[in-house]
Amino acid sequence: MTVRPSRLAAFAGILALLLLIPQIVPVLYVNVISRAAVYGILALSMNVLVGYAGQASLGHAAFLGVGAFASGYALSELGMPFGAAVVVAAIVGMVAALVLGGVALRVSGLYLALVTIAFGLFAQETLFNIRFLTGGGAGQVAPRPSLFQGDVAYTYLCLGVLLLVLIFDWRLVASRPGRAIQALRDDERVAASWGINVTGHKLMAFVISGAIAGIGGALFASIEQIVSKEDFGLSLSITFLLMTVVGGAGNRWGVVQGGILFAVLPTILDRTHANFHVFPFTGLTATWEPAIGAILLLLTLTLFPGGIAQQQGALLSWLGGGPFKRDHDAQGAAQGGGMGARP
Amino acid sequence: MPARELTDPLLEVDSVSIRFGGVQALADVALQVGPNEIVGILGPNGAGKTTLFNCVSGFYSPTRGHVRLFGEDVTEFKPEARAQRGLGRTFQQVGLVRSFTVMENLVVAQHMGVRSNGLASIVGTPAARSEERVLRKRAEDVLDFMGIGDMRDRRIAGLPYGTLKMVEVAAVLATDPSILMLDEPLAGASGEEGSAFCDRVEQMRDELGISIILIEHHVPLVLRTSDYVYVLNLGTPLAEGLPEEIRDNAEVAVAYMGEGASTLA
Repeated sequence: MTVRPSRLAAFAGILALLLLIPQIVPVLYVNVISRAAVYGILALSMNVLVGYAGQASLGHAAFLGVGAFASGYALSELGMPFGAAVVVAAIVGMVAALVLGGVALRVSGLYLALVTIAFGLFAQETLFNIRFLTGGGAGQVAPRPSLFQGDVAYTYLCLGVLLLVLIFDWRLVASRPGRAIQALRDDERVAASWGINVTGHKLMAFVISGAIAGIGGALFASIEQIVSKEDFGLSLSITFLLMTVVGGAGNRWGVVQGGILFAVLPTILDRTHANFHVFPFTGLTATWEPAIGAILLLLTLTLFPGGIAQQQGALLSWLGGGPFKRDHDAQGAAQGGGMGARP
Repeated sequence: MPARELTDPLLEVDSVSIRFGGVQALADVALQVGPNEIVGILGPNGAGKTTLFNCVSGFYSPTRGHVRLFGEDVTEFKPEARAQRGLGRTFQQVGLVRSFTVMENLVVAQHMGVRSNGLASIVGTPAARSEERVLRKRAEDVLDFMGIGDMRDRRIAGLPYGTLKMVEVAAVLATDPSILMLDEPLAGASGEEGSAFCDRVEQMRDELGISIILIEHHVPLVLRTSDYVYVLNLGTPLAEGLPEEIRDNAEVAVAYMGEGASTLA
């Protein structure tokens, strides 16, 4: 694959935009950018499980939560440095995913969705009530690292980690375990007949997803520098699934954009409501976010099952080194990647 | 007709029976496959041929009986454990990864042959990268062997059925099996393609040293290619023998063609 100058310019433009955004955005909203980066990381975590392995998760807020509390506890109670706290969060996320995965291996489809919901609720009602770990109602304090104290600096840290996770995702897909995970999504029997350990690779998808979500949790905790169990409810898990499907399960660029969209949506609704005193905006408040999410989901499932990634098919193909043309077969693949598209 | 007894069979199916609810899908089926031979399995629809494949490859657990691979009892083993011991199979409904290209399918099919570990593969160490090139080269060789080298970069979705069957065989060949079970590989193929495929199956036996079990509805081709033939009917063994013995077996002819027939083909 050769990188042409025009393509290189496009990548440079995207990078410049990412670097500039925290500078341009009014300082009041810089934390929204950090949240968008964290949602992008969570979307990539969901993508490993939903997009690549073809599993369902409606309990992903629990992974974010255990990561956030583990990091907060490591930072404020154990006095660990930030980098070490992120590693702790990743490991705790992995362990949580291993527990869920162990149960989830025995079920699929609708039952898997129910098990993951139960897991999320269980975590919220038991784990997140452990006072010394989560700080109870007052919440757990999670200070930022000394190098990234300011909001703008911390945003760059979040964007940097998002970039690292993107690179990991790119490598994973091209690797032996990554290919095996995708093979079993399409057909477990075929994967097994090629000697692929189906159980092991499914569990691996859960563990990788849990680790990425745990890292996202660590970053999430230090955005406001305090987290409490109310931050990790079922509705957040649903948002994570929505942004993955609307972004285009199975496509890393699509799901990251889905994550960013759902992260900034409440703020955008809020600001338009406050600033435009004409009809639709007078009625639209941030409380409309779930309804808008539902409408986006319906539009995605009916018009673009491949999500944002499908709408940008030509652009993404070009950025990936191909022609500026939609790959019609690839859309079929993207559709197949979604959990909803498969019986 | 007495059942043959090989001294050292690669695969041995020992009086396997399987029941689904009230249906006895297989009853006391025995089968042996020796080194370097092509074994044909004949039988009308519903004879239990694919069920037998599923019992051998581990997707079904027989209610009674044993399956032995290279002398080892694998009756309780998972499908992937049997594949790891050198048993390859194709599926009646094409067994490929639908969202991948042909090349990607052949690369992931070589899963067992990859030596570098998962982490090295993700990091992309020089050793892992050079191994990746070897996988691709090998995939190309297998595709060329199957005569579908030009399909390399096509996506599975959108290929014609006959081609898919050949890609599927190529993918299983890429797993480097010692025993290869082919389930109706010629569905959707023309007569000429069928004949060319049978030449290739003989090449696999003679040049690659693979033993092949072949389920196929095209009786003359099976009789021409096979070294030994088993016939199933309604889940029970009906006959076994050399192809010429099966051709002239009156019972087999009746099962296939109805009352009054005396020879096959």
